[in-house]
Amino acid sequence: MENLPQPSLPALILGLVTGLVLTAIGVGFGFAQGLTVQIIILSAIATLILFVWGWRYVLGLFLRRAPDTATDGPSPLRQAWNQYRWPLFGLALILLAFVVLSLTVEGFFNIWNVLSLFILLGILVLTRTLGRQFQQNRSAFIGIMVLAGLFSVGSMNIEGFASGNNIKSMLLFASFLGLASIGQTLVALLGGLDLSIPFIIGAANVGLLYLISLGVPPWLATIVVLAIGTTLGVINGFLSYKLQGQALIVTLGTGFAISGGVQIVTSIGSQYSGNVFGTVPAWLANLSAMNGTTFGLPFPPVIAIWGVIALILIVGMRLTVYGRFLYALGVNRTSASRVMISEMRYWVIAYALSGFFAAMTGSLLLGWSGGGFIGVGDQYLFLTLAAVVVGGTSLLGGAGGYGFTVIGVLVLQVLSSFLVGIGLKFEWQQFIFGLLILPMVALYARSPHIRTQI
Amino acid sequence: MSQPLSGTEPRKAAAQTEAQGGRSNPFLLMPITMFFALLALAVLRSPSLMTSSGIGAAIIVATPLILATYALMASAISGRGTVDLSIGPLIGFINVTLIQLHGAGLLENPIAVFLYAMAVGALYQFVFSLIVIFVRVQPIIVSLSGYLALTGINLVILPRPGGVAPPFMAEWGYGTTIFSPILVILLLASAAWLLFTATAFYTHLRLMGSDERAAYTSGVPITIVRIGAHLISGCFAGLAAICFTALIASGDPSQGTTYTLIAVTALVLGGASLAGGRGGVFGSALGALNLYLITFVLATFNFGTVQSFVTNLAYGTILVVSLLLTLLIPVIQRYIRNFSPLLYFVALSVVVLGVILHATFEYAALGAAGAFLPGPLDMQAALTGPLEIATLSSATEALRLSAAPLVLSALLLVVIAVFLRLALGQSDRRTIAPAVAVVVAALVLAGAYAVSDTVGRPDVEVSE
Repeated sequence: MENLPQPSLPALILGLVTGLVLTAIGVGFGFAQGLTVQIIILSAIATLILFVWGWRYVLGLFLRRAPDTATDGPSPLRQAWNQYRWPLFGLALILLAFVVLSLTVEGFFNIWNVLSLFILLGILVLTRTLGRQFQQNRSAFIGIMVLAGLFSVGSMNIEGFASGNNIKSMLLFASFLGLASIGQTLVALLGGLDLSIPFIIGAANVGLLYLISLGVPPWLATIVVLAIGTTLGVINGFLSYKLQGQALIVTLGTGFAISGGVQIVTSIGSQYSGNVFGTVPAWLANLSAMNGTTFGLPFPPVIAIWGVIALILIVGMRLTVYGRFLYALGVNRTSASRVMISEMRYWVIAYALSGFFAAMTGSLLLGWSGGGFIGVGDQYLFLTLAAVVVGGTSLLGGAGGYGFTVIGVLVLQVLSSFLVGIGLKFEWQQFIFGLLILPMVALYARSPHIRTQI
Repeated sequence: MSQPLSGTEPRKAAAQTEAQGGRSNPFLLMPITMFFALLALAVLRSPSLMTSSGIGAAIIVATPLILATYALMASAISGRGTVDLSIGPLIGFINVTLIQLHGAGLLENPIAVFLYAMAVGALYQFVFSLIVIFVRVQPIIVSLSGYLALTGINLVILPRPGGVAPPFMAEWGYGTTIFSPILVILLLASAAWLLFTATAFYTHLRLMGSDERAAYTSGVPITIVRIGAHLISGCFAGLAAICFTALIASGDPSQGTTYTLIAVTALVLGGASLAGGRGGVFGSALGALNLYLITFVLATFNFGTVQSFVTNLAYGTILVVSLLLTLLIPVIQRYIRNFSPLLYFVALSVVVLGVILHATFEYAALGAAGAFLPGPLDMQAALTGPLEIATLSSATEALRLSAAPLVLSALLLVVIAVFLRLALGQSDRRTIAPAVAVVVAALVLAGAYAVSDTVGRPDVEVSE
């Protein structure tokens, strides 16, 4: 950022004036809506700062690019056509679909849908133009754009979508998925896969309730479950490291084994064959129930837990030597082991964390549902993968990070909430969900053509 | 058994150069060993597997899985980590659309059904490959997307299991005999792949799978090769869906989805590489059969109410252990440089044939045929009986009747092994040896047929 060319003085002044005008408009609207003065002042300052920052840096990025375009070749119009051919086709396709939908579906052509269309087109244009300027973290930018677009479209079309309760419930489910995806992200950064996560979640869910129903103190039972999850992760990591490239089957195998084993243990001496009954302690229920409170604040603590862990992971992976080594191993394991990074240790640690967080998700899900169910984690088999992939972490290792996965989790959650909100049935939800993952990923995770890789 | 094969010794040098190619595949060691271990265990636990209906049922149940594994294999070879997670929902999709179209009065003709299934599979895979090639996202994302979308649309098309399969499929799913149309489909599919491996296209495919950059720089049309691999995969998926429809004789929107995980597991157990470039029908079929045999063996044990849990536990453990055993491959390779899967297969199959004979041979029936033979001497009589030609008592006659199919099958096995070995070894030379092998094989087969014909045709259900 330091070596960016600065905008000229008139440009800076123009930006400042525009920002001031915008802020004034915002303040006017704030008073018109009768908000409190503190909020108006805060938002005015935020608007101004954001705008000036954007003006200074984003414009700078464009300025640097500007001289490159003046080259010889075909006429500018033709150049533009060559460069933007496919996006234009895409735009035309979307417009066509919109027109067809408006003509066929009764009441489709209303102001909110037109606005949604503009937001969608805006996202596309922004990602195609502005997204190119970001050398790194492009997927994060696009992810946030998609998230903002989805959220605004949702809140326009669905009543109560942007209400506090709905946001709370979205964050609650997002935090379960987010915690379950931690392991998948770490493992994907190394180039592995962990399919045992859903099984460990289910096993922890049933196993914890079983231990509690046996009379073990809940805190001890939780520690035991977490320890078993971590142990399984260690086994997974060790085996996956030894059997390079077979992580998929190894983790699947250990997953089947633990889910079968826990069910055997819980059904010995029980006539309900696998169903466990018991009471969940109040503190565990409070941790992840919708009406839970965090130090008196009205949101379930699991959201705060997720936030803190996400923060630690994001900062830790960027700044600590452990995080950097993890990336180094993912990018090129040969050179990483040449500089004395123990490959096995990182594999084992990544999988152990994966097992730990899977067990934690299972325990928290017990608090949410209040009853043990072995299949509670089943949906996370592909959802954790989808969150990692949609966020922009490469499954081949080395690129991405947990911050990306957080964005991916939020996008998936808002999307599914939106699909539920417009009243789609489960099967249609899944269908559209599947169809939407592909274009979302295609916005940024396209690999270069083979001829540029030689 | 090593006697006929020792004829290949002089060509050891040639064989060693071949070892650099695909013929000496140490990754088949594990699936073969596991297959025969499981088969022996399965037969000992439940001899009824080795009856005509037992094998027939096994074929009916295992074939959709085998074909699904083939479909995965064809696209997995093409590299870039193409693990088609959507294979299960795709099978389900073809199944439910087939049932619904049949219910609507369309698709009565068997040919139309086959064409429809394979066309839908191929079309899906065609779109898949186009997305991978032109949109250039990772194939696993495309397949994940397809998994979710197809799972949803299957439930839309057919909300709950129901419907009837086309009538010509009705008795396919009974599995009362070995020679069902399902077996024909399976054999034809395998043969088609084996024929395909003889083409240059297959070489291009393997090259692209192992190193796409090298393939591109050496002029392989990687776009066309990738599309071709996916089309083949789609045809296999269509066949798998037909066999699946025949198996359940109705439509089921969610059952097909379960094939994804099992087929991927079978693919890896069969020695294929998910990274691309390595895989074949032999290994894939063995991997799928291994998974079938695991569930079969586990089903013969009775664990009461925890049956399914124990099955899960054992299933997972076996998966991990069998993968761990592949760590032994480098150790074995240190001693056996030129591992021949075929020789190993034949050697182990002889051992397991013995086990099968022991498990299924009805010693009591022999005793009943010859009234004067006491029980404990049965084994002795069974071994020496066919050799005593001079005195044709009723007892030896019965023994010969029982032993003839066994002798026939053993001869067949020897002939097929020798013939295959010769054909493979000589395929690139312009000599007369293959013709000699054909003549010898024909003579032996004719002799074996004559033997079996003169002693009449007793029930052949004993051995194979």
